[in-house]
Amino acid sequence: MTTSNLMTEGLNLMLIGMGFVFIFLTLLVFVTSIMSRIITSYEKNVGVLPEEGISSPTAVISPAMNQSQHANDDKNLITVLSAAVHKFRSRHK
Amino acid sequence: MTPGQGVMILIGMLLLYLAIKKNFEPLLLVPIGFGGVLANIPGAGLAEGNGILHIFYTVGIESGAFPLIIFMGVGAMTDFGPLLANPKTLFLGAAAQFGIFATLMGAVVLAHFGIFDFSLADAAAIGIIGGADGPTSIYVASKLAPDLLGAIAVASYSYMALVPLIQPPIMRALTTESERKIKMVQQRHVSQREKIVFPLVLLILVAFLLPDAAPLLGMFCFGNLMKECAVVDRLSNTTQNSLINTVTIFLGLAVGSKLSADKFLDLQTLGILVLGMAAFAIGTASGVIMAKILNKLIKEPINPLIGSAGVSAVPMAARVSNKLGLESDPHNFLLMHAMGPNVAGVIGSAVAAGILINYVGT
Repeated sequence: MTTSNLMTEGLNLMLIGMGFVFIFLTLLVFVTSIMSRIITSYEKNVGVLPEEGISSPTAVISPAMNQSQHANDDKNLITVLSAAVHKFRSRHK
Repeated sequence: MTPGQGVMILIGMLLLYLAIKKNFEPLLLVPIGFGGVLANIPGAGLAEGNGILHIFYTVGIESGAFPLIIFMGVGAMTDFGPLLANPKTLFLGAAAQFGIFATLMGAVVLAHFGIFDFSLADAAAIGIIGGADGPTSIYVASKLAPDLLGAIAVASYSYMALVPLIQPPIMRALTTESERKIKMVQQRHVSQREKIVFPLVLLILVAFLLPDAAPLLGMFCFGNLMKECAVVDRLSNTTQNSLINTVTIFLGLAVGSKLSADKFLDLQTLGILVLGMAAFAIGTASGVIMAKILNKLIKEPINPLIGSAGVSAVPMAARVSNKLGLESDPHNFLLMHAMGPNVAGVIGSAVAAGILINYVGT
């Protein structure tokens, strides 16, 4: 490639490249705005997805974990109840 | 030991020093610097033939696999929320890519006057340094100018580390005090559904318009979809942690293997370093100027400081915008606003990379 040819090629590539980057991203701006509008109006009817995502269908919750969860809940409940009972009794002596 | 190898070992040590002592992109420069030292051990031949570094290079970089896997990880770490809240910031990401093409032109002009012996492919690979995106630079260089890969990767990562030094003077010079004080409107909330659909929309656009960018943006979108869809958390976590870390180690070592004396100790390397710096500076400037133009055209105020974040270099460039904004007005937090152009810059440089590969590669 001769050097003047190289210059033309370079200039060409610069114009095409910059032009295409702009066209592509402009298109992306439009498509994204349209997508956002459609989704926003759709979500007015059906509500939004929970922020942490849909509960994972592949996750297997092991029974052991479930039980300890329950045990934990019960423990909390007992603590709260006994505190309430205690307070009630101390007030109504 | 040849004098060249000695000098290269010292350069490898210098990279290690910069990474360890000065904290310059240590995740990349430690493996690259060490790889550079290993590659120049006389008689060991680590970077040639059946040497282990050469094998890493062939498997990971020559094939294009490592940069693409990294890009998938980057996708899994990217939050498109700020971009979706204000899609107009995509224009800033587009404008900042001017650095790539201006530098390409610069390299071509230097070749024209016989100062350096760059071909069009070399010029394109050098220009992509202005994309301020390590994996993209390495990907393009491995496709278009494998001989220059070492210098391009080193320039690209060093300048990314230098973003907080390179950008502020340019940003200050191009904006007035009152422009730097512009407050931007609070971003709207972006729903999860939008975040899930966006990578698919981007992928479809790429598929129709620019298949050459499909390897980079395809992996990027895939990583992002894994993160946002929230049903494959295990895959997404692996991609953004263990996988990207593993690949980074081998990528760094493989790039280091390209730091051999006969390729690196060349006047061309000096040219690449200078042009790379110019690429960063021009990209920053064009991003800021584009923000000022947008400010004239649309009603919502845009602080021109976020324009500079269009050069990707996530999240460093956005932090720089935020810092300069705080200097002018301690109550003006621009970080989230700057993340929009920042991730737009990643898309923009991947698109530019696709165009370069398409135009020069054929």
